[in-house]
Amino acid sequence: MRGIPATLAVCLAFGLALVPAAAKAADPVAVMADACSGCHGTDGHSIGGMPAFSGKKQDELTKALRDFKSGAKEATVMDRIAKGYSVEQLDAIAAYFASRKK
Amino acid sequence: MTNISRRTFNGLLGAAGVLSMAGTLSACSGGPKVVVIGGGFGGATAAKYLKRYDPSLDVTLIDADKSHFTCPFSNTVIAGMNDMAYIERKFDVLVNKHGVKVHTDMVVAIDGAAKVVKTKSGQSFPYDRLIVSPGIDFKWNAIEGYDEAASHIMPHAWKAGPQTVLLRKQLEAMPAGGLVVISAPGNPFRCPPGPYERASLIAGYLKKHKPKSKLMILDSKDAFAKDKLFKEGWEKLYDDIIEWVPAAKNGKVTKVNAKEGVVETDFEKFKPAVSNIIPPQTAGKIALDAGLADKSGFCPVDPNTFESTLVKGVHVIGDAAIAGEMPKSGYSASSQAKVAAAAIIAMIRGEKPGEMSAINTCYSLLAADYGISVAAVFAVQDGKIAGIKGSGGVSPMGANYQFRKKEADFAVGWYQSVSQDSWA
Ligand SMILES: Cc1cc2nc3c(=O)[nH]c(=O)nc-3n(C[C@H](O)[C@H](O)[C@H](O)COP(=O)(O)OP(=O)(O)OC[C@H]3O[C@@H](n4cnc5c(N)ncnc54)[C@H](O)[C@@H]3O)c2cc1C
Ligand code: HEC
Repeated sequence: MRGIPATLAVCLAFGLALVPAAAKAADPVAVMADACSGCHGTDGHSIGGMPAFSGKKQDELTKALRDFKSGAKEATVMDRIAKGYSVEQLDAIAAYFASRKK
Repeated sequence: MTNISRRTFNGLLGAAGVLSMAGTLSACSGGPKVVVIGGGFGGATAAKYLKRYDPSLDVTLIDADKSHFTCPFSNTVIAGMNDMAYIERKFDVLVNKHGVKVHTDMVVAIDGAAKVVKTKSGQSFPYDRLIVSPGIDFKWNAIEGYDEAASHIMPHAWKAGPQTVLLRKQLEAMPAGGLVVISAPGNPFRCPPGPYERASLIAGYLKKHKPKSKLMILDSKDAFAKDKLFKEGWEKLYDDIIEWVPAAKNGKVTKVNAKEGVVETDFEKFKPAVSNIIPPQTAGKIALDAGLADKSGFCPVDPNTFESTLVKGVHVIGDAAIAGEMPKSGYSASSQAKVAAAAIIAMIRGEKPGEMSAINTCYSLLAADYGISVAAVFAVQDGKIAGIKGSGGVSPMGANYQFRKKEADFAVGWYQSVSQDSWA
């Protein structure tokens, strides 16, 4: 119980508030990927002039991100962004978005 | 929960040997309590993402106003390209879709020891963790004569709302051939490219509607964000309108007399038709009052969790925070909000918070079809938030019309996306 705040400890003790076990959304990859949503909308569901990528398959996203990083895909800004991540990080981000709500 | 009587509950607690917890029992229905001060970019995003990452949290957002007018795109309102409704963000989706509790009230005190927030109307909000995202306030009289009363005559328009409308009205009312002055502050301040975007869009308005007018930027600095790109664009679009006067050429405004309409540097006096004075800034007043700020006027934080290094249990994000190399922008604030939300959840669960990763982008419009940008990806390096080497940077110099037009369209797209991501 160490480190769990009092409120939660009491609640858990009585089963009154169950923290969902699948709270994976807060893992480091989610936090890294969700930074992209300021431009692309939550989960890539852009509603305006930015390209939406919700619904794209993982391998399409992986390829697009790697190509932005290498410069193979033309960009106004995505090249500058993609260069901030390792290939492994980009692949993890692609996997994350592919797994989110379409 | 509601039908368990106090007595029974105390009995249960006694049995569990955690009697002292009675005060926090009400939180059980919604899990641990996180209170968020401010419904701007940082606060709204934090509230939404806290619920996204852990729906069992009891999240309360408190803002002084019923809705938030965004500074981003307020320059387009000042230039007559959009109306105020375009920049108004409401909180109803946070409530209805994401389950955030929203209170309209001014926070007047934070008791970090008792973990309670107090509001002007007399309400108290206990918390397990607190997020503070109050934006900025102004150092009145840092420019002699520029106090709050003077700002009703010479608007700053550096918080969107009535100030935005006032500056717009003054521009509409000014005569053709008049002088507009923008006084830009020294670093650090909210939105480093903001004064120069504003100068550009106002110049665009003058060009069309107030022929022969001039715009002077009196600057307290000798360099500014994206300056080469701005100057390249000004030469193309507004060569006969905009004049930028750096500090080295006595650009720094030291004194104003609002009633007489006079703006002064050390060597010159101006009597502009419209004066837009952007004064030096500090973290929002509530952060200063709560002892969250250091001598700089901004708030030191742990770079991975944004927890204040001065008051435990309180996380400061957005313009109010000292966030290493991240500029004070709406994008930064919302990106930091997600990092802080995840860190808070980890800390509540007794887990180790992850490492921060964040993005900033600032698009600036020089005209409706001329956009430029700066972008960067950030991580903690040597204990400080810093841009990842080899990433980021600004738009290319010398790009053609199509490229600038594309970025102008992406600027609008960004605003639509960030509005959705933060408030909807
Ligand atoms: C002209 C201009 C243009 C800009 N353009 C851009 C841009 O294009 N892109 C970009 O990324 N950024 C831009 N910015 C910067 C951006 O506005 C800020 O960086 C951003 O708003 C910071 O978010 P925040 O959450 O720290 O504060 P804010 O968004 O200002 O939110 C603070 C909120 O807290 C509330 N509040 C404060 N104190 C209290 C209290 N005691 N009790 C209750 N509520 C309180 C306020 O009412 C407000 O709603 C621009 C700024 C300006 C001035
Ligand atoms: C500054 C705003 C901005 C940020 C931040 C941003 N993007 Fe982009 N993204 C764009 C723009 C603009 C394009 C179109 C290509 C270009 O001009 O750079 C794009 C294109 C894309 C595409 C290709 C879509 C298609 O249909 O071709 C993908 C995938 C993508 N971005 C993913 C991401 C991911 C993942 C992140 C976070 C690591 C991210 N973006 C961060 C603005 C942004």
